[in-house]
Amino acid sequence: MQIYLPIAEMSVNALLLSGIGFVVGWLSGLFGVGGGFLLTPVLMLIGIPSPVAVASGANQTLGASVSGLLAQARRGNVDWVMGSVLVVGGLLGSVAGVQLFALLSRLGQVDAAVAIFYVVVLGIVGSLMVMESVRAIFRRRAAMPRRLHQHSWAHGLPFKLRFRKSRLYISVIPPLAVGFFIGVLSAVMGVGGGFMLVPAMIYILGMPTAVVIGTSLFQVVCVTASVTFLQAVQVGGVDIVLTLLLLLGAVAGAQFGASMGARLRGEETRALLGLLVLAVAAALLWDLLRLPPNLFSVGPAW
Amino acid sequence: MRALLALLLALAVAGPAFAQPSPLVARLSVNRVFITTAFTGESLMIFGSTEEPLGPGGDEVVVVARGPSSPFVVRRKVQVLGLWLNGPSARFEDVPSFYAVAGTRPAWRILPEEERRALGLGLDALSLDRRSGARSPGFRAALLELKQEAGLWQENRSTVEVAGSRLFNLLLPLPATVQPGSYRVEVLLVRSRRVVARESLGFTVERIGTAASINEVARERPALYAIVCILLAGLTGWLGSVLFRRS
Repeated sequence: MQIYLPIAEMSVNALLLSGIGFVVGWLSGLFGVGGGFLLTPVLMLIGIPSPVAVASGANQTLGASVSGLLAQARRGNVDWVMGSVLVVGGLLGSVAGVQLFALLSRLGQVDAAVAIFYVVVLGIVGSLMVMESVRAIFRRRAAMPRRLHQHSWAHGLPFKLRFRKSRLYISVIPPLAVGFFIGVLSAVMGVGGGFMLVPAMIYILGMPTAVVIGTSLFQVVCVTASVTFLQAVQVGGVDIVLTLLLLLGAVAGAQFGASMGARLRGEETRALLGLLVLAVAAALLWDLLRLPPNLFSVGPAW
Repeated sequence: MRALLALLLALAVAGPAFAQPSPLVARLSVNRVFITTAFTGESLMIFGSTEEPLGPGGDEVVVVARGPSSPFVVRRKVQVLGLWLNGPSARFEDVPSFYAVAGTRPAWRILPEEERRALGLGLDALSLDRRSGARSPGFRAALLELKQEAGLWQENRSTVEVAGSRLFNLLLPLPATVQPGSYRVEVLLVRSRRVVARESLGFTVERIGTAASINEVARERPALYAIVCILLAGLTGWLGSVLFRRS
């Protein structure tokens, strides 16, 4: 069933889009991540122009994260104070990111820049995930005691604020910086950034794991909303038909994935997710390195 | 007084036309092509008849169709530190978003070269001179190749079919990526290497229905559109999780 996408100005199979949404949703439910980092590259792979893939990917991640946020908020797993600081950083980051994106698209470098961002970010995150979970699998056998949270350089900065829910008394600078960085990535890559935000919250900010998922979802929802808005106004790439078709599959897939994910062990799940992230990075890197089938490309001039 | 003069003039012109049938009559199967949410491209038929017989030794018909023009950029990838990035680019002004030419025989066989070029019949006769950026002829060639691959530029993809030596027709396929706007179709009658009659026709490609409204709102009122997108995505995500909850 072909459907005409009004913003991408092309005709795509609606079932294919919902199917992609379902698979990505299933994987994201399985691993407890938003799935934007899988969705945007797949969209570019099937020929959706990268500005539309990035902007609609962010919009889709927003929809996919809302229900998770509501569920976490009901259970009281959101640190709203920490979330707000992260969101302020994230909003500033998304503004900067969209400016960068607009500049890249004027220079005609969007495709390569988005791919390079993906390769670098996913390569680093995937490697860390795999290493960390392999270490954890070995550590499980040795059964080492864990501290409540690690004290790091982040605890010595000024502008301290008390985050009751996270049982932290730290400077607002690290969460602002983390939020900003995720905001930039969200705008350029069309992702929520949960896959980076969660480890950053645990290892850099030292937040307790119970509130990490809920608080990161709060940041993801706010920042993807901001990215959607700015991308729609400045670049004009948000395709609501594309977003809704993807969401349709994704929300169904996420529920199946979540019920399956509950049966997997934490470390193994993270190792698998890390491998998946590395595979996406490798596929995109290959695309950048190999001789392109056609050296020339044509596009409308702005 | 002026109106009366105009009327007389019109009668004077039209009068002989009634008396002797015109050598060429052509029409389009549709005057408006609609891009709806289910649009996957469309074919339209150009048909007509001639006074004199068509075919070898007789008259020939050439059809040329042009879509709205806009500027395009052609980019060439170059290898930087092992990565293939977009490098030099050339900007072409006035590039027809759609172009098709076909005839009972290829235009270059039935018209003198200067005549054919002047009429813009054939991809090599397209004037793509207003350009800036990289000067290499490779960019022009790449533009031709990519547009043809996309089915947006067609040169003698099919021939004008003749029935009963006086009726002719041509099926013109428009791919799903056609731009909205007004299109011009010219039908030329060629006799002994000269254009002896022509008929100018036109059709429009329009977005209608949901696709049109979405595109219009996104263009005209992007802030409103963005807010609707955010709310719709949020609502769908929430509704979906309620519908598909498996616990």
